[in-house]
Amino acid sequence: MAPAPELLPYQRIREDLFRPLSRVSRRYVLATVCAFVVGAAGLAAWAYQLRRGMGVTGLQRPVFWGFYIVDFVFWIGISHAGTLISAILRLTDAAWRKPVTRAAEAITVFALMIGGMFPIIHLGRAWLFFWLLPYPNSRLLWPNFRSPLLWDLTAIVTYVTGSIIYLYLPLIPDVAQLAEHNTPWRRKLYRALSLGWTGSDREWHALERAMKLMACIILAVAVSVHTVVAWDFAMAVAPMWHSTIFGPYFVAGAIFSGIAALLIVMSLLRKVLHLETYLTPHHFRNLGKLLLLMSLLWLYFTMSENLTVWYGNEPKEMAVFGARTRAQYAPYFWIMVVLNFVIPFVLLGIRRLRTIANTTIAAVCVVVGMWLERFVIVVPTLANPRLPAAASSYAPTWVEIAITAATFAAMAMLYMIFAKLFPIIAVWEFKPHPPEDE
Amino acid sequence: MYVIGEFHEKERAAAAIRTLRAGGATAADLDVFSEEPVEFPRGVLDRPSRMSLISVSGAIAFGLLATGFIYWAQHDYRVATGGMPLFSFWATGVITYEMTMLGAIVATFAWFLWESGLARPRDRSAPVPMVDPGSICLRVRCRAGQSAHAAEAMQRAGATGVERRES
Repeated sequence: MAPAPELLPYQRIREDLFRPLSRVSRRYVLATVCAFVVGAAGLAAWAYQLRRGMGVTGLQRPVFWGFYIVDFVFWIGISHAGTLISAILRLTDAAWRKPVTRAAEAITVFALMIGGMFPIIHLGRAWLFFWLLPYPNSRLLWPNFRSPLLWDLTAIVTYVTGSIIYLYLPLIPDVAQLAEHNTPWRRKLYRALSLGWTGSDREWHALERAMKLMACIILAVAVSVHTVVAWDFAMAVAPMWHSTIFGPYFVAGAIFSGIAALLIVMSLLRKVLHLETYLTPHHFRNLGKLLLLMSLLWLYFTMSENLTVWYGNEPKEMAVFGARTRAQYAPYFWIMVVLNFVIPFVLLGIRRLRTIANTTIAAVCVVVGMWLERFVIVVPTLANPRLPAAASSYAPTWVEIAITAATFAAMAMLYMIFAKLFPIIAVWEFKPHPPEDE
Repeated sequence: MYVIGEFHEKERAAAAIRTLRAGGATAADLDVFSEEPVEFPRGVLDRPSRMSLISVSGAIAFGLLATGFIYWAQHDYRVATGGMPLFSFWATGVITYEMTMLGAIVATFAWFLWESGLARPRDRSAPVPMVDPGSICLRVRCRAGQSAHAAEAMQRAGATGVERRES
C-alpha cells in the first residue's frame, strides 16, 4: 500500500509534483494537437456564423435560446467545481482537500472563460458586445441595470476575478520555488508570477489570511452567480421557468456537475501524471459520497419542480411538462434521470462498487446528464410558449454542434497547458507539518 | 547589518526570538523564512493585520459606488417606467451585491500584496537566506555593535548555524 502523502519525504513530494512540468510525452503532444484541431474547427464554425449571420444556427421563432445558452449554463455550472468546493473544504479544514483544491480551482477559471464566451457568441454581432458595458457614449444611453442579463454580466465578472485570484494566491509559493531551477523562459515567467516571494513569515501570514477571507467571499459569490443564472429564466413569466426554487435548484445542479467534472479531471491526472500516491482511493471515495449526496439533492429538487407543476395542472405549464416527459423531449428527460440518479445511485450507493473506475463512470454520466438537464430546461419552454399557435421545435445545426464540441476541446487544451506550466497539486501545502502549538 | 540563524525546530526559533526581543529587537527587525507557514505561539512574533477591515471597507466602497452610479445613470437617461420608480433597489440589488463582493475581492488582494510586502518598496540589499526544507531561518536587523549579541542569542537558543551579513 502506498504511504500517506503527508509522511513522504519533502524531496520526493517535490520531485513527484514538479516532474510532470519538465517532461512532454508524445501522447501529450498528440492530445494537445487533437484538442487544438477540434477547437480550431469550432472557431471556424463561429467565423462562418459571424459572416453568414445567426440564420446558420437552428435558432428560430420562438426558440431563440438553444445550444449556446445550454452550453453557457452548463459551463457556469461546471465552474462550481473548483472555487466553491475548494472554499468549503478549506473553511472546514478538511485535510484530504490538499491534492484536490488546485485541480478544482483551475477547472473553475477555465470553465468560466469558456462559459463567458457563449453570451458573446449568442449575440450574433459579437463585435458589439461592449454595448453591455456602462460607458459614456454618443447615444447617451446606459445599459438596463434592471435586466437579469446585466446581472449576469456583473456576477460573472466578479466570479472570474475572484476565481483567478483564488487560484493565483496559493500558486505564488510554488512558482517561487519553480523560479529557482528552470529553463530561462520558464524562470522569467515564474519570477514574474512569484512577485519576489521569499517565504518570510509576513508573506505566509498575509497569504493565509487572504486565503481564508477569499474562501468566505468566493462562497458567497459562487452561490450568487448560479442563482443569477437561474434568474435569467425564473424572472420570465414563462411556463416551467417562473419558479421560486430555480435559484437553489441551479446552485445544487452546479455543485453536482462541478463535483463530477472534478472527479473526471482527477481520474485523468492520476493516470496521466502518475499521481497515484497523491490522489488516492480515499479522495475518490470522499468525493464520490459527495456526488451521491448531490445526486439525491438533485432528485429532490427535480421532483419538487415537476410534481408541483403536474399537481397544479395549469394548461400552459402542462404543455411544457408533457413535452418534457411524454412527447418530443421525453427521451432527453428520462436519459437525464438515468444518468443523474439511477447510475450514480447504483455505482456510489453500493459500497462494494464505489471504486475509482466506477466513481469516474458515475461522474461522466452526471456531466452528460447535467448537460441534458440544461437542454431540457431551456428548450421545451421556448418551444411551447403561451401562444399555442407559436409552438415550434428546435434542432441544432452543425455550427452549434461544432462550437459546443470545441468548448470541450478548449477545456482539455487549457487544462493540459496549465498542467505543464504549474504543479497541479500545491506542493507547499503537502510538506510534512510539525505538530502545531495550542 | 543582519544576523541570520538557522533552526531545525520551531521551539528553538521561538526561544531565539524571545531573547532577541527582550534585548530590544522589534518585530519589524525580525523576519522568519521557511518553505511552509510556521505558526508561533501568541506573543512571540505577532503580526497584526487589518486585512478583514480593508476587505469590508473595499466592499462598502464598491457597493456605494455601484449604487450611486446606477442611481445617476437611471436619472441621466430617463426611461418611461409607467409610473414606477426610476431607481428601484429591488431591481438593481443584484448588481450592488456583486459589486460589493468585487470590492471585497479587490481590496483583499491589494492588501495581501501590501501587507506581505510583495508590492511595497523594500530593502533590496537585505539578504534572503536559502532555506532548506524543514528548516527555519531567523533574520534580525541590528546595528553592527549589537550583532555579536544577536548571534550569541541565536546560538544559545539552538541555532545550527549563524552568520553575519552586511546589508
